Amino acid sequence: MTEPVWGPVHADIVGLLADHPEDVPAVVDHLTKLQDLLVRLPPLEASCPLADFNKLYLTITTSVLEGLYDDFFADPVFLSRLDVEFAARYFDALRMWTESSPTTPKAWACLFRRMRGPDARPLPSAAAGVNAHINFDLPFALVTTFSHLESEPVDGSDQHRDYLKINDIFADKIPSLRRGYLERWQLLLDMLNGDIDDWYQGELVEYTRDVAWRNAQKIWRCRHDPNARDCERARLDDNAAALGRLLLSPLGAFLQ
Amino acid sequence: MASDVDTAPLVGRADQLTMLRSALLGELGPGQTAAVFVSGESGVGKSRLLHEAGARLRDAGAVVLTGSCLDIGDASPLHPVLQALRRFDADLTAAQARTSSAVRGLLGMFAEEPATPDGGTLLERVSRGLSLIAEGRPLVLVLDDLQWVDRSTRQLLLYLLAGLGDLQLSVLAAVRAESLQGAHPLRRVLTELRRLRSVRVLDLAPLDRADTDRLAAAIVGAPLTPEAAEQVWQRSGGNPFVVEELARDLRDGRDGLSDTLREIFLTRVDALPQHAHAVVHAVAAGVEPVEHWLLAEVLALPEQELIEAARAAVAHRLIVSADDGYRLRHRLVAEVLEDELLPAERSALHRRYAEALTRAPAELHQARLAHHWRLAGEPGRALPAAMAAAREAERLHGFAEAHRHWSVALRLASTPAGPPTGPVPGDVDRAALLEHAAETAHQCGEHARALSLLAELAGAEETEPSCAVRIRRARYLAAAGRSAPAEAEYQRVLAAPDCTARERATAAAHLAELLLHLGRYADAGRRAREALELAAKVDGSTTEVVLASSALGFSEAFLEDPDAGLAVVRRALEIAERAGRPEDVACAYLHLAELLTGPLNILEEGVVVARRGAERVAELGLGRTYETRLLAIATNGLFRVGQWAEAEKVVAAALRHRPSGADAVELLLARCRLSVGYGDIEASDRDLEAVATMLAGGGAPRHVLPMLILRAGLAMWQGRHDVARQAVQRGLTESRSDDVVLLATLAWHGLRAEAEALASRTVPVDETALRRLRDAVDRVATKSGTAARPVRYVADGFLALCTAELSRLDGRGDPDAWARSALEWDRRNHPYPAAYSRLRQAEALLARRSRNATAAKLLRRAYEMAQGLGAVPLTSEIRTLAGRARVDLEERAQPAGRSATRGQPASDELALLTAREREVLAAVAEGLTNKEIGQRLFISERTIGVHVSHIFDKLQVRTRVQASAILLRTRGE
Repeated sequence: MTEPVWGPVHADIVGLLADHPEDVPAVVDHLTKLQDLLVRLPPLEASCPLADFNKLYLTITTSVLEGLYDDFFADPVFLSRLDVEFAARYFDALRMWTESSPTTPKAWACLFRRMRGPDARPLPSAAAGVNAHINFDLPFALVTTFSHLESEPVDGSDQHRDYLKINDIFADKIPSLRRGYLERWQLLLDMLNGDIDDWYQGELVEYTRDVAWRNAQKIWRCRHDPNARDCERARLDDNAAALGRLLLSPLGAFLQ
Repeated sequence: MASDVDTAPLVGRADQLTMLRSALLGELGPGQTAAVFVSGESGVGKSRLLHEAGARLRDAGAVVLTGSCLDIGDASPLHPVLQALRRFDADLTAAQARTSSAVRGLLGMFAEEPATPDGGTLLERVSRGLSLIAEGRPLVLVLDDLQWVDRSTRQLLLYLLAGLGDLQLSVLAAVRAESLQGAHPLRRVLTELRRLRSVRVLDLAPLDRADTDRLAAAIVGAPLTPEAAEQVWQRSGGNPFVVEELARDLRDGRDGLSDTLREIFLTRVDALPQHAHAVVHAVAAGVEPVEHWLLAEVLALPEQELIEAARAAVAHRLIVSADDGYRLRHRLVAEVLEDELLPAERSALHRRYAEALTRAPAELHQARLAHHWRLAGEPGRALPAAMAAAREAERLHGFAEAHRHWSVALRLASTPAGPPTGPVPGDVDRAALLEHAAETAHQCGEHARALSLLAELAGAEETEPSCAVRIRRARYLAAAGRSAPAEAEYQRVLAAPDCTARERATAAAHLAELLLHLGRYADAGRRAREALELAAKVDGSTTEVVLASSALGFSEAFLEDPDAGLAVVRRALEIAERAGRPEDVACAYLHLAELLTGPLNILEEGVVVARRGAERVAELGLGRTYETRLLAIATNGLFRVGQWAEAEKVVAAALRHRPSGADAVELLLARCRLSVGYGDIEASDRDLEAVATMLAGGGAPRHVLPMLILRAGLAMWQGRHDVARQAVQRGLTESRSDDVVLLATLAWHGLRAEAEALASRTVPVDETALRRLRDAVDRVATKSGTAARPVRYVADGFLALCTAELSRLDGRGDPDAWARSALEWDRRNHPYPAAYSRLRQAEALLARRSRNATAAKLLRRAYEMAQGLGAVPLTSEIRTLAGRARVDLEERAQPAGRSATRGQPASDELALLTAREREVLAAVAEGLTNKEIGQRLFISERTIGVHVSHIFDKLQVRTRVQASAILLRTRGE
């Protein structure tokens, strides 16, 4: 018998993934439970690269949830559906990986493969997850949300503005999260050129999120054509996977 | 050789077959619905499982209809259902003449159903036709390749599964797992549906090692050598399709095992005789199933040679043959064949198909013609076919499909003429094509596409766009939720000198409606008056009058001159009646009923108008849409004024029209509201599931919050306060803060759930949830302060409830807060929340052990109201409290104390105890302290102590545990 994908926490993760969260509070609950399981995954435990991403994602989703409760968005129906759809794709990727399915998106597989080692630095790991999630999952989550709400991705709409507000949340969270990752001497370095780095990180997220919106518009136009849709999917998966591999390569460590 | 085709046994799927049988037939009660969606990768055996399960269900007495969805993106609406009906009809014997005529009747409906303004008719007619075919037997709809399902079929499935078709139906469908990734529309539908009790998603996994060996051995006819078995396992990964093909090669002694399926099939294609080769490629280029006659025409082979060639292709396991025609054996075969033909060869095949189809009609005639002519490189010939297919889809209200055909037509019209063989496109009116494409895009919700088509239309005209185009553009913009540019566009129409008075009236009326939705009541009123003035000068502008009057009526109601507004809307109804156009009359009734039951809160009259209107529009032949909408208004009004029995009758009558879409959801919610009030858990659950099924199709976010509110209300009667909390939390994250009334209702439900969790100790109070609820209440209070009077009026009622619930959370509850809430709801003429508030007021008074007489009076009043409604759970809560407080609810009936002796006769050991002592003992057995018992029974802690010592004496025990043991023993627990 080969060892199950998730080692000692396999049964727990399978159990968790059997449930499909239907609202943002449930997504946050799911990510919290997942975090508790990921840090118990030997041999890396707390430094599991996927846990690095999951923690960031949990923080951001929690902020989104707070924003929804606090009336921060113009169209909460859209934003909460988007958040649920977005998370569903991450959980789907995990489910496919659990079943060792060959259809696991490559963009995710490159991060999942590193779960049991070798270790990667927390920042590039989290960035690899963000890359897969935003560059690959987000456009599809957008398209599904718009088609479910019988609306459409239009620049300058309430939905578009709400979507851009997430950038503020990223910008708000990433600098502090980065500092959270850093060792002491790195903190010193960070303080020296902190602002530039923060700017760079913020820009990266904003840039890729903008690309995701454009890609969603592109998929939107061909969403009734199964072949074109599949082509687009393969293209995004390949691009995201290439960037993900780069982030997780020794080169990616320079980011940190 | 052909007999070899399906002899492979079905291995490793016994459990799934049993599950399918019981889920789709066995566990299903009359009138219920169920569905199983089988998902899995290509070749894992979904179709085979469907086939076997279908056969078993048929043997068990079900009527089984089998169809597949098509992957040509331009199929016609409801194609798989049509196909299933045709197949079913072909299999009927002469003895089943009645069923056969029912099937023909339904098929005829597809062919001839005229276009009507009543968009939902098709779904209703199909479901009526299906129930005629079923004749009371359970019906199973088996659909393969659901990943290619058209939008109309998707809506039909949800409609039937929601129970709206009123027949016992189950759906068994297969969907390729790979297709569901990305942005497939079914993905979201399945995620929503899999939460329902009546729906299962069966993820079909590959075979395990043992089953792989069994399957391979069965095909080879003998056990495999360990090496061969290992190879088959390694290469197939347990995929039964691959296992089967590998095992066959092994059995037939082909050299070594092919590495990939691609190689397997390529080897086979190469080994085919020449004609068989042609057959395979022709089937691959055709639209499946390819009829035998059509194949004969395309290949121009003599009958005998064609049959031999087809036989060989079947024997090589590349195609399969059925009564309705030939198909490729598997999707994988198509992928293998894709690169095997030269483009010229392929387009020649398409040309022959198109020519053959031109000579003889066939299933999906126009869509197929368009498809083949286009791929044959003959846009001029494809164009009329695409247009015909579009019109056909429009007739069946398949606007998404129609839009696709019109788009194809547009593309064809702009394709430069190819070879000089056919007519050149260009003799069609491109503007007309654009117009059709834009309008169908708008109707299927593709507003951005509609707008860009319209822009193209306007650009083609060289001059300034006409007023008609501008009005359309504004309409599309408004529908897309882009209010600012829509407003600007309407204004341009109003300012344009070349617009007719009629066009200006239309623009002003629509603009008024738009402004009303934006909450700009003063502007809306101004524009509405302008529209009415313009319309007065134009004959036959009743539609504009009705629309503008309604906008004016509502804006006046919101701006505190309700009487003037009401008069305008009443006059609009008179005008509409005089002009006599049915839609105008129906709209006028609808606006009047909405105005009365909505902002004006004149409920009784609103109900009367809605019911009279319903009768009237039924006479006018608009029963399905407008009558159901009017009856939904009547139901909700009757619910609020407390005439629940009447409301129940009305909603039942409305549902007999088998409405679909948003109208159906509205009615299901109305019925569910009644069931929750009655405490009928089963019925409420059923309606909530039906609503969730309909909402899985998307498009109606405004129904989500009412559904969540009902879910929370139901959960509270069940004592499941955590479930109620979850529903409220989801609602809070998905509601806009300007939806003051819904948000207030939601917050009240949340606070009530926390207060009741605290009182009943089912779950601990969630402090974070509580904090958020307080925030929500604050927000509602702020927003309603600036809202229009009618909005504020309703919101204030809920805010009173919220304040009172908060006092319950802070302590024993503030009787004054509850008194205020009761008063608010009395003023609004809503007995249900008023009775509830009285119950809580009485409870708060009793908890303070003061003014027992007032509390008794309140309880009696609440009891009377709740009983009048038929609100069972509320009545029983009032009874429980009255029992604990020893209040006699039936004033004149029995002397005090009698009520406490109701209940089961006590056995001997307890016979010595008084009724009160038995109550105390029951609480002791629950483990409560004297203080807690005192709070529950509204007597002092010291008195409880006295009761307890009496109990000990009479039962001759010394501890609470012993006393409890006697109670439990006599109860037989």
